[in-house]
Amino acid sequence: MFLWCQLIGFSTVLFAGESMPAPVVDFLKQHCFECHAGREDKLEGDVNLDLRSVDWASTDSLELWTTVHEVVHSGEMPPRDAESIPGSVDRDTFLAWLGEVLTEYSPPGGTLPRRLNRIEYLNTIRNLFDYPEFELPPSFPSDVSKFGFDNVASGLVISPPLLAQYLEIATAIADEFLPQPVTLPKAEPHHYSIDAMGLNTDEGGGGALAGEVFRLVSSRNMASAAGWTSSFEAPISGIYSVRIDARVFQTGSMFYERRSKPFLLQVFARQNGEQKYAKFSDMRMLGEVSISTSEAKHSVDPLEVELFQGEIMGFRWADGPVYSDPGRIDLSHDFIDDRLLNDPIFYAAALKLNGGKRGSSQAEFYEAICALMESGDLDLSDPALGKPPAVYGGGLFNGPHNWCKAYAHEQMHRFGPALDILEVAVNGPNRVVISQTMRDRLARSKAFLGRQASESTDILFVERFLRDFLSRAFRRPVSDDQLGGYMELVCAHRDEFPEKRIEDALHLAIRKALLSPHFLFLELGGGALDEHELASRLSYFLNGSPPDAELTALASSGQLSKLDVLGKETRRLLSKPERLEFVKHFTGQWLGTRMLKDIMPDPRLLKFFNPDRDALIEETELFFEELLAGNYTLDHFIDPGFSFRNQNLNKIYGGDLTGKKMQRVSFPKGGRQGGLLGLASIMMATANGVDTHPVHRGVWLLENVLGQPTPPPPADVPAVAPDTSGATTMRELMLKHQADAACARCHEKIDPLGFVMEQFDPVGRWREYYPIYTDGASEKLKEEFYSSQGEGTRLGRRIDTSATMPGGTLLNDVTDLKAYLMNNMELFASCLIEKLLIYSTGRELSFGDYRIVQSLTNDVLDGDRGFQDLIVSVVLSESFLKR
Amino acid sequence: MQVAMRHSKQQLKTTKYQAIRTLTDRRRFLRGMGMSLALPMLESFDVPCLQASTVSTPVKRLVCVGTYLGFHQADFFPKQTGKTYDMPYVLEPLVSFRDQFSVFSGLDHRGRNGHEGWQAWLSGSATGSVSMDQLVAEHVGHHTRYASLQLTCGTPPDAARLSFSKEGVPLPMIGRPSVLFQTLFRSDSDRSRMEYVLKGNGSLLDGLLEEATSLKRRVSHRDQGKLDEYLTSLRDVEKMVQKQEAWLERPFPTTDYTLPAFDPVSPDQSLECEMLMYDLMALALGTDSTRVLTFLVPGWSQVFEIDGRRLSAGYHGLSHHGNEARKIADYNLVGREHVKRFSRFLEKLQSYQDPEDRTLLDSTAVVFGSGMGDSNTHDNSNLPVLVAGGGLSHGNHWANDRAASDSRLLGDLMLTLMQRSGMDIDQFAGASRNLNECLS
Repeated sequence: MFLWCQLIGFSTVLFAGESMPAPVVDFLKQHCFECHAGREDKLEGDVNLDLRSVDWASTDSLELWTTVHEVVHSGEMPPRDAESIPGSVDRDTFLAWLGEVLTEYSPPGGTLPRRLNRIEYLNTIRNLFDYPEFELPPSFPSDVSKFGFDNVASGLVISPPLLAQYLEIATAIADEFLPQPVTLPKAEPHHYSIDAMGLNTDEGGGGALAGEVFRLVSSRNMASAAGWTSSFEAPISGIYSVRIDARVFQTGSMFYERRSKPFLLQVFARQNGEQKYAKFSDMRMLGEVSISTSEAKHSVDPLEVELFQGEIMGFRWADGPVYSDPGRIDLSHDFIDDRLLNDPIFYAAALKLNGGKRGSSQAEFYEAICALMESGDLDLSDPALGKPPAVYGGGLFNGPHNWCKAYAHEQMHRFGPALDILEVAVNGPNRVVISQTMRDRLARSKAFLGRQASESTDILFVERFLRDFLSRAFRRPVSDDQLGGYMELVCAHRDEFPEKRIEDALHLAIRKALLSPHFLFLELGGGALDEHELASRLSYFLNGSPPDAELTALASSGQLSKLDVLGKETRRLLSKPERLEFVKHFTGQWLGTRMLKDIMPDPRLLKFFNPDRDALIEETELFFEELLAGNYTLDHFIDPGFSFRNQNLNKIYGGDLTGKKMQRVSFPKGGRQGGLLGLASIMMATANGVDTHPVHRGVWLLENVLGQPTPPPPADVPAVAPDTSGATTMRELMLKHQADAACARCHEKIDPLGFVMEQFDPVGRWREYYPIYTDGASEKLKEEFYSSQGEGTRLGRRIDTSATMPGGTLLNDVTDLKAYLMNNMELFASCLIEKLLIYSTGRELSFGDYRIVQSLTNDVLDGDRGFQDLIVSVVLSESFLKR
Repeated sequence: MQVAMRHSKQQLKTTKYQAIRTLTDRRRFLRGMGMSLALPMLESFDVPCLQASTVSTPVKRLVCVGTYLGFHQADFFPKQTGKTYDMPYVLEPLVSFRDQFSVFSGLDHRGRNGHEGWQAWLSGSATGSVSMDQLVAEHVGHHTRYASLQLTCGTPPDAARLSFSKEGVPLPMIGRPSVLFQTLFRSDSDRSRMEYVLKGNGSLLDGLLEEATSLKRRVSHRDQGKLDEYLTSLRDVEKMVQKQEAWLERPFPTTDYTLPAFDPVSPDQSLECEMLMYDLMALALGTDSTRVLTFLVPGWSQVFEIDGRRLSAGYHGLSHHGNEARKIADYNLVGREHVKRFSRFLEKLQSYQDPEDRTLLDSTAVVFGSGMGDSNTHDNSNLPVLVAGGGLSHGNHWANDRAASDSRLLGDLMLTLMQRSGMDIDQFAGASRNLNECLS
């Protein structure tokens, strides 16, 4: 009941049902009402604190007064130039009262039933069926993020196309674990003959010339290194007999020495039409035979091979002198390499031609070399021509295996060595077999059902099976009612389809369970969060998957909600390898590394490839994981003195690391290296690959490190875009724009942070000058992207990073900002805690939750408590324990 | 290996009408038994396709064919505009259809370059937007068993995608002729299994609806909203299952067309695969299994042998011809092979009558071209495109002036096609006009 009393003259007033002590009323009168009450047209910033319009049950009032609490708490209001600045006692009294009221009306808690998000769903299916190979179809819809995370209930809607996908997946899973019975047809053997031309190399790399087909190369890549029977695919899974006629081809004019050791021929199987870049090591080898070098036709004794329906056979010369693998110089050994290394004249000619005329074909280049050698114009005493290196270093030509591959093949084709497969004769199937897929399914099914000998009737078995399965699927013991419903479904199926097996009835039951709200939603019940819901909340938070057996047992025995048990379980889950799910998805969203896949750095800036991107993400994750596992105090997020790097990151951070494996590197504390403010992944995620924008990085830092999010700019403000010609710096553009008081209120906070970060370029490299993109280079480099060294820029104006923060702190560069954060750790700590609470509870935080954030912040900074301790405190907090 | 089409026009028509008669008989039978009509009304009984076509919606079907590695622009676009242009070298195999198609030059989306920009061919400048075929499928899809089918040859490179759903998801493509054949002419044993599974789906959805409704009564007011979302989705999926069941009731068409014993899905068999796919596409339209088809003609580094000569480089290498005459000549040879197969497809569409006694070609708009402009430089401006059939007025080469202030976009052409299929749409892929004047 709203009771309004004239404010003046009462020592205590009732205000929207809350009694308001006199000092609070005085506080508002003295410090707020001058600008924020009274006539509509005189209100500052359109903020009206008129007490008559307060209704605590409305979100508008709650939001407005929460803001009041925030700005008074942070000291932003009353403004520094106000006539009277409140004393700390008055302020605290006001804040304490307002805090109590807001907490009462916006208490901790409020998570809605939360559907599993894409990743949780994937992990849950894998876990429930012990089926780690399971993948979602590419058409599976993605989730919407709310409050920075894609596991917040209000963003996780369920739509008809999504439910249709669930149904499709449920059916596919049920087929996988409860397959249809197999009936094998009778074998009807046929004879198939494949001649040399019928062996197909997908891309012609095996060397077909003038009607002859030779196997020339021995690469691991199957496209160019085997002949495939693509016009014979096994019509049915079975045992086939395969006869091969082959011969070895060698001449006296070969570059290579004639060899007397037999040639090794390998036979492989793969599905017809499958991606052709698979490696031989990932394919099934059907057999291996030696072909003698006598050069006569060699008929290999028939191989008995098992082929599955739709498979084709591939024939590969496995031990030839030439093999090439795209992108792997270390695994390539090309004809052209051999000539360069072992034929000094050839080498000198190639060097003289300097890679050949741009745009000339491989063959032309090769022919030009040979012509130069024959012309006698080559002066071998010319010191510029040098001597062949002892090993091929790849420095002379860009990718030697790309240069002359086709031509080298032709050379080998003309003169050898090569393996010539004359005919492949297939007979079969002599016996029909169950396909490998079906064998896998049958084995999986048996393990999944686990029918015991004691389960003498179907009903006994089904009841035990469903009780167990549904309890795991629903992440809580299935109720008798629920189980009864599923038993009825099974019985009704049996009555309607007496000819079907019990597995068919279970097929239906499993499809239903995988569409049930109890499977798809977390925390579907009402009232207090119960033990099982708590177990799930904890497990999805830290492991991204349903509770394991230990957690489930504790929940079932009612032990989990005991705080000491819960704390221990939290640490246990954080020690499991599945903690990587937390590390990946929390950092991926909080620190933005998920966005990196959509950012392509400008090639004029540097050559950047997927492994570089992966290394940046890995650095971020390893760093976070190390702080977690090592229980480091929170200041290590800002100034750790170490990070994790590999050779790919040399191009970002400098350095001379070798190897792809990430290694821990140390550097002095207090410098610019290391910590969130030194992670190139974050610098890249807050830029666009081409230029940087101080506002983007400033806003990002406020939101994700300092915990002071700013509202979005008004809709009618035009964006300030960087001037890539280099004439004006962003700083000049921004300062102009800060002159407006309305803009300044946020930009005085945003811009100093952004300016300081300008010393990191769009990929996170340290820089002193802005780049100017040189457009002449741009066209050329776009054309030759793969040969560019990223030198399409020249130095522009020097970067000035100095700035003053609203409190007066002077920042010269990023080390000052780090020092500021180290001295004000409560800013970062409360920011991190807020993110952790949103991520772990799946909800927007209420005012009550924010008060808990504050007390958790005080706790963690009090003493030497580390990151892992903090996670335990978060789990034990009222916010986490409330629905 | 050449596979002959082993069916005649007459057989195809019989197939279709047989299917409809069977169903009619069944309904009559049910009525005769005094049973209520449990089958949902099928669209063929609304007979929209048996009505005389109205001038405003001559396009009943849409086929979009795109080659991944493009064409040599100078040999694809005619040198002259208007009706009297000299047939360009690459389009020569289409000469007998001269009056039944229109070539457009200077059209594109003003989008990104490179292979990724290619993906936006049917959707506009932003990869991941809904593609034209899917919009048309939404409009006409309820008439047929399959709202649309997406096809290719073998397993194309990952970047090769043509169709995108409304959610921006690239749609999977059928790359094996045998799988497409199965999809169109399923065997009875497949059918009974599908029927059984759908029946189960119906009953489990019923059970879940009941369960969720009672659950909703027990949760707080706030939580009910989430269960409402779930219930709405359940009901929608139930309708979808009913629709699938209704189509199963209707027998699959039959054919005596036979495929080779193996699927020619390896890259160097792709021209053969292309031909089989076209054959099956004509059958898919002829049996009214679908009215919307997209076909991505892929390309890898396969080295083709054409007219007994092995080409000078792999297909992908030829597409990056570096303006070398010999390579362009070979690249054009491959382009012509694609056009030959396409021409044969038009012939088939021409030979089939649809129930309105128009030829299938006359009621099907066929778009042929590529999302790759200049394959040599991966420049995606001035995309090769021609439109055949669809009851539109043809025979022209219409050149857009890209530099002009009123320059048109490829989206304008797509708007015309969608509008002519009866859709109420005036904005697509950044375009908001149309090219009606070129096709009427």
